[in-house]
Amino acid sequence: MPDLFGTPVPMSTPLLDRPSALPGECRAPLVDLIVALADNKHALGIRYAEWCSSGPTIEAGVAATAMAQDELGHARVLYGLLEELPGAPRRSEHEWSAADARTVRFVEAPFQSWPHLIVANLMVDRSLAMVLETALESRYLPLRHRARKIIEEERYHAIHGQSWVAQLAVEGADVRARLAEAVESVWDETLCWFGPPDGGALRPLVDAGVLAGAGDPVRTRFAAEVGPALAAAGVPAPVHGAGARWELARPLPWNAWNEPARRIR
Amino acid sequence: MLTIGDEPVYEVFARRVEGEPLRHVGSVAAPGDALARVYARSIYDEESWIEMYVVPRRAIIPVDDVRDEAVDAHA
Repeated sequence: MPDLFGTPVPMSTPLLDRPSALPGECRAPLVDLIVALADNKHALGIRYAEWCSSGPTIEAGVAATAMAQDELGHARVLYGLLEELPGAPRRSEHEWSAADARTVRFVEAPFQSWPHLIVANLMVDRSLAMVLETALESRYLPLRHRARKIIEEERYHAIHGQSWVAQLAVEGADVRARLAEAVESVWDETLCWFGPPDGGALRPLVDAGVLAGAGDPVRTRFAAEVGPALAAAGVPAPVHGAGARWELARPLPWNAWNEPARRIR
Repeated sequence: MLTIGDEPVYEVFARRVEGEPLRHVGSVAAPGDALARVYARSIYDEESWIEMYVVPRRAIIPVDDVRDEAVDAHA
């Protein structure tokens, strides 16, 4: 696996094979990140599951069911990571409470339409996966092992989101307008999710090699993937292609960003 | 690209273990190859297949001419 973010983590640095090996400054940000990742995945799983029997085709409903199972499974696997971390809140899929969950607003209520589900798939699902991709070579082994298992399944979620956006785009101007409206309502929170430009609270995790990157480098990758997909589908979004780079067309609302909860206040 | 409800059919083939012949496990309707892969994986997950393939039904050539019409009707 090549180092996608150009972060120099010396090969001689020892691996962190258990929670007690984690540098002290890494614990709180790692706990916050895992709780937010797992809570969002749990909520996304519930939202996907609501479309099990009402997708536009039988195949689409079954695929939504499979993605729901995947997301709920990923949440369980990530909650398991918290059990090993001292000071982490107790969380499990059985005790899950929506009121207490650290999720982005877009997954808090049922999706209004199939295009909304597809935008959640393309934006929320993919952004969580992209953060976990920064842990594929993590020095913290419990996270690395879980991230690898999750990312293997997430490949199909990415194909699903990209293919469905293209498919919905040809359904007509009203469907494209609905996609654009959903993209607009999820945009700021999704793009903030990668953290402030330098990584913000995730910075100690990057410095310790727990994550390969955070903040702008990951956001740039996301924009370069989602920007062309939306442009090809004729869905307006606040991002524009500048050569090989895709750049955000407006600043993100950092003054409203709640860093520990990873959501906009 | 086709509209929803009008998607072509893909036949799904899979293998459980090395050395076992590929077997036909079912079919999915999908607007393109990419979604056909996603659908096949989510629908035919009853076994831990080591390999799975989707084949557009129109790419399967009937050997006996008599079958042409029946195959075309579902492609």
